[in-house]
Amino acid sequence: MSIIHVQDLSKVYRIVEKDPGLAGSFKALFRPRYKDILAVDRISFTIEPGELVGYIGVNGAGKSTTIKMLTGILLPSGGAVRVLERDPYQQRVPNARDIGVVFGQRSQLWWDLPLIESLNFIQRIYEIPPASFKRRLDEFAETLELKALFGTPIRNLSLGQKMRAELAATLIHDPQVVYLDEPTIGLDLLVKERIREFIKAQNRQRNVTVILTTHDLGDIEEICQRVIMIDAGRIIYDGPLSLIKARFGKFREITLETASPIGLFALPTGAEIVQQADQRLTLRFDRTVTTASQVAAAIMNQLEVADFSLAEPDLASIVKQIYSGALHA
Amino acid sequence: MLRRYTSLYWFFLIQRFKILMEYRLNFFIGLTSTIFLQAAGLLGIWVIVSQVPDLNGWTLDQVLLIYGLLTLAKSINHMFADNLWVIGWGYVRPGGFDRFLVRPINPLFHLLADRFCHDGLGNFLVGAALVIVSSINLHLVWTPLNLLYLIVVVISGGVIFIALNLITATSAFWIIESIPVTQIVFNTHEFARFPLTIYPKAIQLFLTILIPYGFASYYPATQILGRDPGLLAWLPPFVALVLAVFSYRVWLFGLKHYGGTGS
Amino acid sequence: MNRLRHLFNVYGAVLAAVPKFYTAYRAWVWMEFVVQILAMVVLYFFWQAVYASGGALGGLTFQQTINYVMLAQMLMPLVENRLIFNFGWMLREGQIAIDLLRPMDFQARLYVDAVGNLFLNLLVKAPLLIMAVVFFQVQLPRDVTTWLVFIVALALGHAVMFFFDWIFSCLAFYSTETWGLSVVRVAVVTFFSGAIVPLQMMPHWLQTTANLLPFAQSVYVPVSFLSGVTPSSAAAQAWLIQLAWLIGLGVISRLVFRRSLRKITVQGG
Repeated sequence: MSIIHVQDLSKVYRIVEKDPGLAGSFKALFRPRYKDILAVDRISFTIEPGELVGYIGVNGAGKSTTIKMLTGILLPSGGAVRVLERDPYQQRVPNARDIGVVFGQRSQLWWDLPLIESLNFIQRIYEIPPASFKRRLDEFAETLELKALFGTPIRNLSLGQKMRAELAATLIHDPQVVYLDEPTIGLDLLVKERIREFIKAQNRQRNVTVILTTHDLGDIEEICQRVIMIDAGRIIYDGPLSLIKARFGKFREITLETASPIGLFALPTGAEIVQQADQRLTLRFDRTVTTASQVAAAIMNQLEVADFSLAEPDLASIVKQIYSGALHA
Repeated sequence: MLRRYTSLYWFFLIQRFKILMEYRLNFFIGLTSTIFLQAAGLLGIWVIVSQVPDLNGWTLDQVLLIYGLLTLAKSINHMFADNLWVIGWGYVRPGGFDRFLVRPINPLFHLLADRFCHDGLGNFLVGAALVIVSSINLHLVWTPLNLLYLIVVVISGGVIFIALNLITATSAFWIIESIPVTQIVFNTHEFARFPLTIYPKAIQLFLTILIPYGFASYYPATQILGRDPGLLAWLPPFVALVLAVFSYRVWLFGLKHYGGTGS
Repeated sequence: MNRLRHLFNVYGAVLAAVPKFYTAYRAWVWMEFVVQILAMVVLYFFWQAVYASGGALGGLTFQQTINYVMLAQMLMPLVENRLIFNFGWMLREGQIAIDLLRPMDFQARLYVDAVGNLFLNLLVKAPLLIMAVVFFQVQLPRDVTTWLVFIVALALGHAVMFFFDWIFSCLAFYSTETWGLSVVRVAVVTFFSGAIVPLQMMPHWLQTTANLLPFAQSVYVPVSFLSGVTPSSAAAQAWLIQLAWLIGLGVISRLVFRRSLRKITVQGG
């Protein structure tokens, strides 16, 4: 039995178009001109209990609109959502009891009060039985290393500590589905690693279903088995991470700046041009075929290179490549 | 249900006071600042009305009783529903309102309970002082029944204030910046500082039917002072109830709009 | 020369800001407008009821009183001043050191800004004046002399208030509770400036207190000329008194400021 069921889900925002100025506002008040914006366009997927799903897309792709419909904040314009056999919008309160949400940078903790106060407060709101609350606290004290932080006001916590506290607050009522919006944004590598481990462990031990939205492909790589990729409101990929990884994980991009305008040159083996400007060249190469130093050396033999940098392909470029048919090639 | 929300509110309140005690000086400044601001206006009224025999047939102490009743009602709104002012830029725009919607409690309750405003305590003290001082000067006898009436009308007045602010605050779901709308409606309460009879009939009707602040001060005062009260003096709780139900409907309508558009 | 250029710049900026202000804060401007009208309606009927029971309070007729209270209501921006918040901000951000190093006198610069602000505030309130005349029977003087007397008194009164606020704002050097301090200031200044009740209606002891404080110079004095409460023949005397306050407070303000500055130089900011 799937835990989340999404069928032809759409969301249309209707906005009023206004002419500038006071006259425009008045006109909009009496004879409004509407413009429909399709944020989510007939998407469908199902998620099974215990799945770890990465829901990814560039900014404005429709990620957060989807999450808001799944959590019951927004009413869908078309199609159907079922989460745990419920309509999350119509049955908002029962749904809220069974889900946990981390909203990226927006904390649910009381800034001025010690962490434990916020957790006590959440216990009250979710009516968590004292025994299981205590058990969870002890557990998080260990796994999230919060023991020393319970008495510290949130304002005195570091960014990483805050996110750990946030996760504790989100999971303490033992939700069956957890939505994590950018849980590792702005954190350093070590902290990221710890948070990823924790999420995986929660999933393993309690069979929590996790839906993770992120820009950070590292998160996806570490945590998720499955990826749903959305762009311009449509799902452009839904499948195992391994396929994406096989396709894009082996690529690196090298960008070179030259001292003089780029003339003719021979492309090193295993590399292809992504972008070429007057004095700037970006190449993509397959790591399994060649290495960065080989590519760089081959170019430097031909051109006068002033500077160069190396990068993994980012989400935006992957999306672009999927569009151009990279997955079918 | 009611018990759960009462105990939750109590919990919110305790947390709030813990925060306030972190900033103790701010707490006392907030408290005294409202008293100071009230004092400036009151001094003005006292200076003027004490020089004339009466204001449209109402003595200084009677006017101060009206003022006191209004201030008490206003303080209830100030203490328990101050967050309605900031719903737009404090919650809807930054997205904090979404948090309320993914929690298993009533979002309006959550919004109101989120910040008990201690500045309102200053208003409460001023209002209480005015009622006490004026009733001593007027030799009012506080029988248990009268006292009950006083408590009921003050709470009703508070509900009227809150309900009107709720209606205007709901506009935040459409325009976000709801403060100007709230401010305009809220400020009409200043009419109700004085006996309504000093105004033309149209304004009296306005304050009785359209924006019924009259039920928060003037009509109860006619009853307490035994000045030919009539039926209207018994209406405050009913007006409050009707307005509360209506404003909650408006709020639900706004909530539905929010569900359609998001922030 | 420098000062003059700054003056022109400020006025240019202020004038350019008026239409911008109206559009950017349209909702707030409308709100302010409606709220002020509501306040005027209350004032009107309150004073009508006061005068209905007979007599002339403090020797003023109903017409004079209505003129006075409505105009005083409109000149409220005189009572408002954000200098203490400016000081608090500049001290917190360390901006004050930069400002002090500029070639132009620090106080003179802020004074010009304050005049610009007053100008803007009065312009925003201008439509109210028309409302007051049309709907509340406020009578404005028809002779140029009274207007001139008023404008000079207004300028002097504003300067008096500026210097008072300069001294008051130096408290920001000693306390961070600028908000609480300013609330108390607003309450005291509002009453004793005569913004609510004209001075002659106050009981003797309050009148004495008001006269010992500088605040009446900023609201009561100019408004009483404009509303016809004080005849313009009394202008010379009033101006002299304002001037005396101005010079006294001006000198004190510079001394207090210099003394307060020592506090941050000692602490190193």
